[in-house]
Amino acid sequence: MNKVIQMLIVLTSIGILSGGLLATVSGWADPLILLNQKAATEAAIFRVQPEGKNYEQVNITGLEVYKVFNGNNEEAGYALVYDGNGFSGKIKLIAGLSKDLKNIISIEILDQIETPGLGTKITEQPFTSQFVKLETNPKIEWIKGAEPTKPNEIQTITGATISSKAVVAILNDGISRLKKLRESGELK
Amino acid sequence: MKKQLTLQKEFLKGVWDNNPVLKQLLGLCPVLAVTVSAINGLAMGLAATFVLFMASLLISSIRKTIPPQVRIASFIVIIATFVTIVDLVMKAKFPDLSKALGPFIPLIVVNCIILGRQEAFASKNNTGRALLDALGMGLGFTIALIILGGIREIIGSRTFFGLQILPNQFEPWLIMILPAGAFFTLGLLLGLVNIYTDRKKRLEHESLIAHYKRVGREELIEELEVK
Amino acid sequence: MELFIIFISAAIVNNFVLAYFLGICPFVGVSNKLSSATSMGMATTFVMVITAIVSWLLYNLILVPYNLTFLQIPSFILVIASLVQFVEMVIKKVSQPLYRALGIFLPLITTNCAILGLALFGSMREYSFLENVIFGLGAGAGFTLALVIMAGIREELDLADVPKPFQGAPITLIVAGILALAFMGFAGMI
Repeated sequence: MNKVIQMLIVLTSIGILSGGLLATVSGWADPLILLNQKAATEAAIFRVQPEGKNYEQVNITGLEVYKVFNGNNEEAGYALVYDGNGFSGKIKLIAGLSKDLKNIISIEILDQIETPGLGTKITEQPFTSQFVKLETNPKIEWIKGAEPTKPNEIQTITGATISSKAVVAILNDGISRLKKLRESGELK
Repeated sequence: MKKQLTLQKEFLKGVWDNNPVLKQLLGLCPVLAVTVSAINGLAMGLAATFVLFMASLLISSIRKTIPPQVRIASFIVIIATFVTIVDLVMKAKFPDLSKALGPFIPLIVVNCIILGRQEAFASKNNTGRALLDALGMGLGFTIALIILGGIREIIGSRTFFGLQILPNQFEPWLIMILPAGAFFTLGLLLGLVNIYTDRKKRLEHESLIAHYKRVGREELIEELEVK
Repeated sequence: MELFIIFISAAIVNNFVLAYFLGICPFVGVSNKLSSATSMGMATTFVMVITAIVSWLLYNLILVPYNLTFLQIPSFILVIASLVQFVEMVIKKVSQPLYRALGIFLPLITTNCAILGLALFGSMREYSFLENVIFGLGAGAGFTLALVIMAGIREELDLADVPKPFQGAPITLIVAGILALAFMGFAGMI
C-alpha cells in the first residue's frame, strides 16, 4: 500500500508543479503572442492596402475584416483576413478590397503549408500579382493552362492547380460573405 | 564496478562516438523535417538541447524519489512541461522561427533522444554527469541538424544561414527541399559516417596487429581476429 | 466526399511518413520484415484511431472551454501513453502470439511521433469529431502502407549486394527517398 501511495504522491506533485509552471509561463506568453499576431496583421493590412494609413476593425462576429482609411481619413476600402482548406492544410490570406467590394486591391498569403516549390508558389508573384485590380463580380474564376480572358479570371499555377483553386475558393467565400453582410446593412 | 568515463569523455561522447543521430539513429523525425535550412536546424537543436538539459537536471536531482513503475510517466510529464515552455516562449519571442519549425517543437516531446537519455542515464547518474551527458548529446544532435540543414540549404537554395554562397548560375536542386531530398541526404550522410568509422576501425585493427608483431606477442592477434 | 478526401490525403497524398516525416523511428526499425511491419502498422492504426477520438474529446470538451490549451502537449502525450499501455494489456489477453510478435515495438508506439503528430494536426486544423476519426484512420493506413512497402523492398534488398557501410539504415533511407518521390506523383489526385 505504501508503494502505491508513494507513486500517487510523486505523480500528483509532478502534475501540480507542471501545471502551475505552465500556467505561469502561459500567462506571461499569451499577451505577447497576441501582440505578435496583431503586429503581423497590421503590417499585412498596409501591404494589401498601400494607400492605407489607418484602420479599425469592423465589429462582425466570425469574420475578421478591417476598414482602412487613407491619408485624408477617407475610406480606402477593406482588408479581409480569411482562411480555408488548401492542398496540404489551411491557407490563410488577407485581401485588400475596394470600398464597393467590386475589386481586389491586392492579396497576400499569410499562412500555408503547401508543397515546397509547387504549392508554395501561391505566395509569390506572378501568381499574387494576378489578383491586383481583379474584379470580383459575379465571382473570381480560374482557368488552367491558358491566359485569362475575363477581368475576373486568373490562371492557375502549373503543378499547383489545387493550391491555386483553393486560394480562389477562399477569396470567393470570404468576399461573398462580406457582400451579403453589406446588403443586409450590417457592414457599413 | 562500472568503469566511469572522465568528465570530458562524458560530454564528448554525445558529440561523435555516440552521436544520437549519426550513431544511435535516434530522433530522426525532426532531423528530416526541419533541416530545410541550417538556421532551422540550429533552432531545433537549441530548443531540444534546452529541454534535454532541463529534463536531465530535474530528473537526475529527484531520481531517488521516483518509484520505478511510474518513471516513464514522470519523465514524459516533465519533458512535456519543458517542451510546452519552449513552445510558448518561441511563439511569444520568435514568432517567425516558431512558424517555420511548425509542429515539430511540440514533437520534441516524443524525440527518442530525450526520453532515451533520461531512461539510460539521467535517472541513474548524479546531476553533474547527467548535465554533461545532456549537453554532449544536445550538441551532437545540433551539429547533425546543422550539417544536414546546411547541405540541403546550400544545394537547395544556394544559401547557408541565409547568406548566398553559390552563384546565381547554379540552378538549385529543388529536390533538396522536398522530403525525398531529406531522406537521400541523411541516408548518404549515414553511409559516409559508416565508411569513415569502418575505415578507422580497420586502421586501428591493422596498427594493433603490427604492434603485436613487433613486440612478439602474435598469440594476441588471434584474439583480435575473433572480435 | 470531404471525408474521403481527408482519408486519401492522409493515407497517400500527404503520407505521414513520406511527406511529413512522422513515425520514422519505427519505419526504419521495424520495416525489415513484412510480418512485423504489418503487425506494427495495424497496432499503430488502432492506437491512432482511438487517439483521434480521445484527443478530440479532451481538446474540445475540456481544454478549450476551460482555457487550458497550454496543457495540450502534456495531456495529449499522457493520453497516448495510457492508451498504448491499455492496448498492450488487451493484446496480451486476447492474442498471446500477436503479443510476442510485436514484442518491444508496442511500448515504442508511445514515442511514435506520428501519433502525437496526428493529435496535434487534428486540433490545429480544427477538424470535427468525424473528420478527426477519418484523419486518424487515413494516417494509420498511410503509415501501414509505407511500412509494408518498405518491408517488401527490404526483404528483397537482403538478397542484394548492398555495400557494407550502407547496409541497414542508410540504404533504407535512400529507398525511402525514392518512395517519397514516387508518392509525390499522387499530388494531383485530389
